[in-house]
Amino acid sequence: MRRFDLAVPGSVDDCLKALAGNPAGAKLVAGGTDLLPQMKNGLLKPAQVVDLSGVAELRVLAVDGSGLRIGAAVTARELELDARVRARYASIAESGALVGSVQVRNLATVGGNLCNAAPSADMAPPLIALEAVAVIAGPKGRRRLPLAEFFTGVRRTVLGADELLVELVVPDPGSGSGGNYLRHTPRRELDIAVVGVASQVTLAAGKCAKARIALASVAPTPVRATAAERVLEGQALTPDLIERAAGLAVEAARPIADQRGSVEFRRHLVRVLTQRTLTTALARAGALARASA
Amino acid sequence: MAVMKTTRDIKGVGDPIPRADGREKVTGAVQYVADIQPRGLLHAKLLRSPHAHARIVRIDTSKAKALPGVRAVITAADMPQLKKKAPTRAHAVLAIDRVVFSGQPVAAVAADELAIAEEALDLIQVEYQVLPVAVDPLKSMQPGAPPVAEAGTEADTSEALAHSAVALASSETKPAKAVNISQQANVKRGDVAKGFAEAEHILEKTYRVPMVHQGYLEPHAVLAQWDTTGNLTLWASTQGSFNTRSEVADVLEIPENRIKVIPVECGGGFGGKIRALCEPITAELARVTNRPVRYVMTRREELEAGMPAPQVIIRLKTGVKRDGTLLALEAETILDTGAFSGTVLAVSAVFLGSMYKWPAFDIKGMEVLTHKPSVAAYRAPAAPQTIFAIESHMAQIARELGLDPVEFRMRHLIQEGDPMVNNQPWQSNGAKQVLAKVGEHPLWKGRKEWAASGGKDGRGLRGTGFALGGWLGGLQPTSATVRLNPDGSLNVLTGQVDIAGTNISLAQIAASAFGVDFDQVKITTGDTDTAPLTGLSAGSKTIYTVGSAVLQAAQDARRQTFEIAAKEMEASVHDLEIRDGKVIVKGAPDKSVTLASIGKKGNLYMSKIPPVLGTATPAFSQQAPGFAAQIARVEVDPDTGETTLHEFVVIQDVGKAINPLGVEGQMQGGAVQSLGIAMTEGLMFDDAGRLMNPSLLDYRKLTAADLPNIETIIVEVPSPSGPFGARGVGEPPIVPAPAAIANAVEDATGVRITELPVTPERIALGRVAKGNGGARPR
Amino acid sequence: MKKQILTCTVNDQAVEVLVPPYQTLLDALREDLGLTGPKEGCGTGDCGACTVHLDGKPVASCLMLAMQARGRAVRTIEGLAKTGTLHPLQDAFVRHGVPQCGFCIPGVLMAAAAVLAENPRPTEQEIRYGIAGNLCRCTGYTKMLTAIIEAAGAGAPARREG
Repeated sequence: MRRFDLAVPGSVDDCLKALAGNPAGAKLVAGGTDLLPQMKNGLLKPAQVVDLSGVAELRVLAVDGSGLRIGAAVTARELELDARVRARYASIAESGALVGSVQVRNLATVGGNLCNAAPSADMAPPLIALEAVAVIAGPKGRRRLPLAEFFTGVRRTVLGADELLVELVVPDPGSGSGGNYLRHTPRRELDIAVVGVASQVTLAAGKCAKARIALASVAPTPVRATAAERVLEGQALTPDLIERAAGLAVEAARPIADQRGSVEFRRHLVRVLTQRTLTTALARAGALARASA
Repeated sequence: MAVMKTTRDIKGVGDPIPRADGREKVTGAVQYVADIQPRGLLHAKLLRSPHAHARIVRIDTSKAKALPGVRAVITAADMPQLKKKAPTRAHAVLAIDRVVFSGQPVAAVAADELAIAEEALDLIQVEYQVLPVAVDPLKSMQPGAPPVAEAGTEADTSEALAHSAVALASSETKPAKAVNISQQANVKRGDVAKGFAEAEHILEKTYRVPMVHQGYLEPHAVLAQWDTTGNLTLWASTQGSFNTRSEVADVLEIPENRIKVIPVECGGGFGGKIRALCEPITAELARVTNRPVRYVMTRREELEAGMPAPQVIIRLKTGVKRDGTLLALEAETILDTGAFSGTVLAVSAVFLGSMYKWPAFDIKGMEVLTHKPSVAAYRAPAAPQTIFAIESHMAQIARELGLDPVEFRMRHLIQEGDPMVNNQPWQSNGAKQVLAKVGEHPLWKGRKEWAASGGKDGRGLRGTGFALGGWLGGLQPTSATVRLNPDGSLNVLTGQVDIAGTNISLAQIAASAFGVDFDQVKITTGDTDTAPLTGLSAGSKTIYTVGSAVLQAAQDARRQTFEIAAKEMEASVHDLEIRDGKVIVKGAPDKSVTLASIGKKGNLYMSKIPPVLGTATPAFSQQAPGFAAQIARVEVDPDTGETTLHEFVVIQDVGKAINPLGVEGQMQGGAVQSLGIAMTEGLMFDDAGRLMNPSLLDYRKLTAADLPNIETIIVEVPSPSGPFGARGVGEPPIVPAPAAIANAVEDATGVRITELPVTPERIALGRVAKGNGGARPR
Repeated sequence: MKKQILTCTVNDQAVEVLVPPYQTLLDALREDLGLTGPKEGCGTGDCGACTVHLDGKPVASCLMLAMQARGRAVRTIEGLAKTGTLHPLQDAFVRHGVPQCGFCIPGVLMAAAAVLAENPRPTEQEIRYGIAGNLCRCTGYTKMLTAIIEAAGAGAPARREG
């Protein structure tokens, strides 16, 4: 890595001050699992880096009446292991469990995964499928927006150079809801998604009241398969209907061919993984509904 | 070459003794090059070409030189000894006026800190004129392709082609010279046309294996320092300190005895650290700065600009009778060597036709230059790729003719004395014994039950496959000394870099051969100033050659000891033996002298007794081939193609397992490298010759979570010439897995993959193409 | 780009050292503290050779800035066992002939120790996933599994504090 200065703020406000003092663009570092490799490869050469590891507010992981609050610096490993997340927001725990290896998950943060905004970001699809809201702090205070609107392109988000992602707020999906995140990788660990799919279905009176399907690695940003969602909502989720939805999900995908996979394989995987995650989400929704009945 | 005798009790050989350096390694105490921190150390970085083929128009280093903390910036202009027609990759220290692969060094920096060196690279301005590239070997071998070698270098064989009697693949047009074919071979026997005419089954396939990297965990690293009298010391991560010394001396044009190479603990080599690479430039930076300079390659540099294994493309056509009688084999094997010649083309040609008895064959081989990093050896070079082709082919023939695949091979498998394709007779080997064990193994016998069983969630497709391969065994002259100490202990000195834990085996051999307990022996690996000449730790030949040298040196020391003792005790040397630290007259145990007393006398003031110093300097002519078979049991997800390896066995003939613990480790490690070639690894280049996967994220090596336990079965068919019958162990296990996996996947899914790696994508799309993927995913 | 003072605990010792802000934890351990056990195999978190414990958890130290360890407890292979003794994992690795070139071993042992600290009776699969972040090119992993399972069975100590 080339040389740089390092700021070590102790609060969100101090962090915002450090960012404001560097309009040329300081880089934020939390886990460093995306930033440091990019700096070592010369893709990024910031003159200043701001370390978030000392900002306690960013590490809050809490469940309250409205749902789940995940501080931006909560690690993938914490999400993987937290009993509350695994019970109620299973797809988030599953995506956290898939990032890198144990040594990487103990550093990698949900905020870093989202703000790095790689098309393959594993934690984005489940959070989008669970309709998470991003809370962003800036010089004018805090603002909220649906996570689905957070990404604007490959490695690009709505964040300004003087803004900081503070936390994700995930509304409680209810006891009739189940979710699943699956991705395909060539190896079991240390790998990156060729395609990732998160499905979340909420049942009411045996029918699908709400369906959300989000895809990774098949477009410049994570995308929702809205046509597939629409065909499911209001219906009983039979295997045939799920298969139809899986076919529609392929149409939401605009994959490119790269060294990790061809267009044809990615489209094929979207169909397969959508079918599988919907099936699992449905089973979990039913199980949760029965458990709380 | 004396046949090894094993008439006395063996103290040590055959025992599974852990390596002596185990404790140092588990506590992090062992030092590698990057751990050495001398005072005043400078850090080196190289500026590398982003283009695969370009003319260098101009280099401006002025801004880099002006950066505080930078101590030197050099280009080829500062090294007049560099030759435009660099005969080897090592000679291409810095590009003079043309780059021939992306990643080729163009300038070098030494600075107080690595971060400053990196910034200095940013400040060096290079103007390139990009030239057309030859990346695909099939295109590069055509006449008129953009040239890789400098006209007139040894690698330029265009003149030879014009006069050559070798028939090339068909070319109707009058060609311009095919300038990028750097080696050719053709071996023939019998009448293949007649064989194909009589054949009742003909199979023709093309097999492809990408370039793969040796994957050692420790990147290339070297520390260089000159003293005030013009002597250079290199602390190097190397598989051969003497080879490194010779290459550096040749490149820098200085006498060999002005260079001392200290082989530091090597964090893996597998053939990739045989040739000099970073040493010359680091030495030069140390010379101009008069400071110790250390260069450690980054992982990205290793992948982009290391010395990988060649890409291999083999077109294989066979003709057999329906009852499995072999008739004819025709093959073209093309090895893509990158920008400099470096493949062992002959190995590929030999293995294609020499595993089984083909009455007629015509095998052509070609080495092709391309604008990619040049290759070096990788553990059994060319063998895994070649066996992938022939063993995939044999499995398909057996399947298509309804023949038992083990019996089909056994029927035609070579034996000792049968001629290889180069008409050399096969040496004694255990190929049949190894293959027989495949047939007996529960994984093989239970393959039908496995295939019929449901699989994960009832949907996995299950299959079994195997392959047989081997390695001829390397040879290189070597030397060793054995010294008796004044306390009766032994010191053994070799120059052999201990990569595979061979030192413990050498100690076992010395102890057994001399007649002391194993813990009385210390093995020292000397540097190039102190050690006797030795060869590479490669070629599966360390125990075979250095073991023999140590054995002979120990026997020599024993003889000298007996001569001294015989005079003292007035006995005949033939009546003596060594036991419990004493030289004893057989049958008269009170007549003895201690080893210590003999050792002391050899070092005593005014003594007339010489010190005991056993030496041996053997050269070798007889290879000792080692065969290995591997059986894979797999389960494939029918929709994603994801393949789970449930069980894997390595069956290997090692001649004599001097240290079974070490032998198992070699078998398991080689097997996993083989599985990497089979399932996940490949350097991927774009059309401009740039590497698309220069990180370990996308150059995929297998993790512990991808693998089952690797079962090992040691077979011992003694070699007549190895110490205690030992054969080379390191290379055979990397050979069979690619074919074994491809065969297992076909067994499970019906999809035959002929291009490595066998990836989920290739399987899934293969199934879709066959129509099996049309069913609802479950 | 002034140096900054890093105050933390390393292998149970209080440490105060001046570090450049752009230095990684791995380099600070190796170059400023002389702890060369953790290695750089890739620098990008893809090989595990740099694994150390941060407050008891295994992390890739090549991906951390040294200053990010301020106020925290770091443990390297040199601190896995008390001086002169061997942790049961280290002892098992030696007896089973696990280390070959040895370069991956410090990282593997730290990852394995973390597995056992969190899960004293792991299954083979749990161990495999726990060390899946550690690439080894020499051994094929099998003997590592044997050694780790044996050390687990022998009751390796529970997680050391910090």
